[in-house]
Amino acid sequence: MSETADAHDAPTSTGIDHKKLIMWLFLASDCMFFGTLISTHLLYRKLYPSGFTDAEGHQRFIQNLFNIELTSFSTFILLMSSFLMALAVSAMHKGEIKSFRRNVLGVIFFGLIFLGCQVFEFTHFYHQGLTIQNSVLGSTFYVLTGTHGTHVAIGVLWLILMYFYSFTGKLRGHMGALDVEVAGLYWHFVDIVWIIIFTAVYLVEYLGPNGIWGTGLPAAIK
Amino acid sequence: MSSSSEAAPSQEFLIEETRRYHHFITLALWLAVVTGAEIVLIFLPIPMAAVLTVLSLMSAGKFFAVILWFMHLIYDKRLLLWIFVAALALTFATFSALLALFSVDLLDPKWIS
Amino acid sequence: MSHDSHHAPVACKTELAPERSDLGLIRPDRTTGWTDWLTTVDHKKIGILYGAFAMFYFLVGGVEALAIRTQLIRPENDFVTARMYNQLFTMHGTTMIFLGVMPLSAAFFNFLVPLQIGARDVAFPRLNAFSLWTFVFGAFVLNASWFFEFAHLAGWLNSFDWHKALVYTDFAPANGWFSYAPLSGTFGQNGQALRFTGVGTDFWIIGIQVLGIASLAASFNFICTIINMRAKGMTMMRLPVFTWMTLITAILIILAFPAITVALIELMFDRAFGANFFNPSAGGQPVLWQHLFWIFGHPEVYILVLPAMGIVSEILPTFSGKALFGYPIIVFSGAVIGFLGFAVWSHHMFTTGLGPVPTAAFALLTMAIAVPTGVKIFNWLGTIWGGRVRFTPPMVLALGFIWMFMCGGFSGVMHSAAPADSQQQDSYFVIAHFHYVLLGGVLLGLMAGLYFWFPKIFGRMPNAPVAYIASGMVILGFNLAFGPMHYLGLAGMPRRTHTYQAGNGWENWNFIATIGAYILGAGVFIAFVNLFWTAFKGKKCASDPWGGRTLEWSLPSPVPEYNFAQAPIVATRDAYFEDRHGGKRIAYENDGGEAGVHMPSQSWMPLVASAGFLFAGFGMPMMAMGVPHAGWIVITGLGVLILGIWLWAVEGPGGYMLKTPAAAGSPAPVETAAH
Repeated sequence: MSETADAHDAPTSTGIDHKKLIMWLFLASDCMFFGTLISTHLLYRKLYPSGFTDAEGHQRFIQNLFNIELTSFSTFILLMSSFLMALAVSAMHKGEIKSFRRNVLGVIFFGLIFLGCQVFEFTHFYHQGLTIQNSVLGSTFYVLTGTHGTHVAIGVLWLILMYFYSFTGKLRGHMGALDVEVAGLYWHFVDIVWIIIFTAVYLVEYLGPNGIWGTGLPAAIK
Repeated sequence: MSSSSEAAPSQEFLIEETRRYHHFITLALWLAVVTGAEIVLIFLPIPMAAVLTVLSLMSAGKFFAVILWFMHLIYDKRLLLWIFVAALALTFATFSALLALFSVDLLDPKWIS
Repeated sequence: MSHDSHHAPVACKTELAPERSDLGLIRPDRTTGWTDWLTTVDHKKIGILYGAFAMFYFLVGGVEALAIRTQLIRPENDFVTARMYNQLFTMHGTTMIFLGVMPLSAAFFNFLVPLQIGARDVAFPRLNAFSLWTFVFGAFVLNASWFFEFAHLAGWLNSFDWHKALVYTDFAPANGWFSYAPLSGTFGQNGQALRFTGVGTDFWIIGIQVLGIASLAASFNFICTIINMRAKGMTMMRLPVFTWMTLITAILIILAFPAITVALIELMFDRAFGANFFNPSAGGQPVLWQHLFWIFGHPEVYILVLPAMGIVSEILPTFSGKALFGYPIIVFSGAVIGFLGFAVWSHHMFTTGLGPVPTAAFALLTMAIAVPTGVKIFNWLGTIWGGRVRFTPPMVLALGFIWMFMCGGFSGVMHSAAPADSQQQDSYFVIAHFHYVLLGGVLLGLMAGLYFWFPKIFGRMPNAPVAYIASGMVILGFNLAFGPMHYLGLAGMPRRTHTYQAGNGWENWNFIATIGAYILGAGVFIAFVNLFWTAFKGKKCASDPWGGRTLEWSLPSPVPEYNFAQAPIVATRDAYFEDRHGGKRIAYENDGGEAGVHMPSQSWMPLVASAGFLFAGFGMPMMAMGVPHAGWIVITGLGVLILGIWLWAVEGPGGYMLKTPAAAGSPAPVETAAH
């Protein structure tokens, strides 16, 4: 931390780098952001446990829609991308730029697989009759997971730009490692949000015979 | 950029990074195992309340493991941990309250009249 | 990241050699005039720009308010149409909160926080510029709705095919500042969703969204600055109270704005893509909008008032000649207010039928907030008590703040009793309450701050007699305008009513309220003209005309670009006062001087990135209007935004060295108070 003699990188009052602190503040704020989205989804699940009605007028249950194998796979992929990101940051701290590039390529690749799974999932659900317009469930589900997907996409874009930037030779030293670490914090955050979404949106629907919310039939309010 | 930033990292630093590296691998394995256990758990014929409790604990465990090790909070200054945990607590409290407020029971006609 | 291209230290930035950024573009470091203001990263200039825009929008919001009051001056008046009336009160509230009070507070944050903590800049100077321009463009987008509305009323849009196809032709927002669903949302099922309102609501949604981004970016920056850039010896419990309140406000912003961001996204999805978040015919719960809005909206109230409390906590000790009474308690109360502010949102919604337990809980928590607020008021009184009070214009306004804010607090406690609130809901009593808090409280506090720090900002002293007259008019007019509204509300006059019939006993009080509003408007206008004149033509004054207590008064006025020629090392609270009158001197680090102070480079990129919001912000409502190809404007905007951020990231921070007059080891000479 002490290698920068420059006034711009002067030691801070707390010893925490500005960039790292501001990223944590952003993540603190993003907690409320995803908290709002997740609770919107959950409270509508609580009010309307009965799923949705597709275009043919059939009552559909979310349990029949979800594909837990696919979601588990993409969850696993995202967790492993987080692991690779941790290794990439570690490599930057050790000054091993080649190892950094290898790991970050892995993160980008896994991130793209996750996004691919999400595109597949959305298309599949759409063909099964769940749209953003035909039910509250569709609105909350697509907007929640879509917003998370947008976060992943921004992260992928960020890491791709960082990957190419590393070839200019300017990504180095303490500041370079810090830039990578900050990007890594963002990536891990996207991962932990998915940990919550995976449990709260997907897994709980499988509990008991009808999921934690029940089938809700007859609906409590119409 | 001052020249010292190009200098090789010190020996202790490398030992520490290597130690972290092993932590990361162990953690990645644990994350995979817990995720696998979660998927198995939801299909087991045990009472819903028990499954829900265990699921919540596992999910919270994964969550905190990632922020502590992958996101370096266990190595960094405590302030960062406080900032994040405070925001997390506020989020949890606010939206638990919101979820509780949206109860079907409250729409019972006896409160509306 | 390379600093190889550092210039040799120069005395003035116009002497710099042209320098290219990592992109190969010449950095606008040497510029003066317009280019300098557009590319500045100096927190003081950014603060001045924030202040100028905020005061302009205060006047805009004030004109809207006067139009509202003119409409209500007598029963069944027809000064404006009912539709225009709805648009006026919506834009009045939105403008005053998001374009008046918040940016004026931000102006003080920007100008003062680095000076008060002994720093030379904020943590992220270019991000600061980005916050400013994003606010400016968000304000443009919001107010552009007026231009469309007037163009429509003038008939200029009639020849367009898309205009003929519109179902609703209201172009300015008309839903009230909280845009309750379902009025702001949609109805109808399965993609056949219809809107209740025209594109005014879309302008509102995107405008608030952009303004939220500006506030969030600024707040991240300020928390980081306050936590991380304090001078040596400036521990947290030695921070000036204004800086403390800035910190708490910024924390509230970063935790409260995400809720409205998501709510706006959901509302936008309802309106633009037929989603059902708040659509009652598809099972959406409009009351969820109220919850999400007030999860943001109630902390927002404290976001508005805490900076004013911080300002008053600086002014009262200065003009009482005493240290602030109970500094730790004031700080702690501010933090408690901030924290409790998140736990009371549903008191805005007592009449929605929350059920007895939540209603009781929220009522109790709301009453609890009165405790830390009362503690602060007693501390302020304790500060004045036994002091040698000088009734300067800032002090008069600050004392007005205490009194008026207390009145607003009393009616606030009345609201917290849920049964009483169900009578007062949506009546003029509520209007009276929050104007006593926001106008009697916040506006007086901010005006006090303007008069207090103007000599520091411009090195010129406002004309005191004019300031007294303006302050008197504001306080008198304000009480005449809003005092009667307590009575009107309890007598049953509903808020947001376009007109009313004679015979309810409302005529006289409405007449008085309108006359009061004119006096208030004239007072604010005179005060702003006085300040504007001061900035250019006022009498020059010493660097510390008031006998200030905190570090900013130790600097020359106007403050040089590098703030501190040598970084201060403080040993106590109220460091500058103690330096002169106590035993604890401010020490100075042996930096600056011939070696120079490192200054951040100016940049076009924050402005470019923000301009993306301008395009996207105009494009989205135009898409909703059905203007052909408007989608491309949105895409262009997003492209400009991403491009701006990318160029910003790779241009490198740059920087140059500025010589300061300080000789090593000895503090810069400071003029002493003139009185």
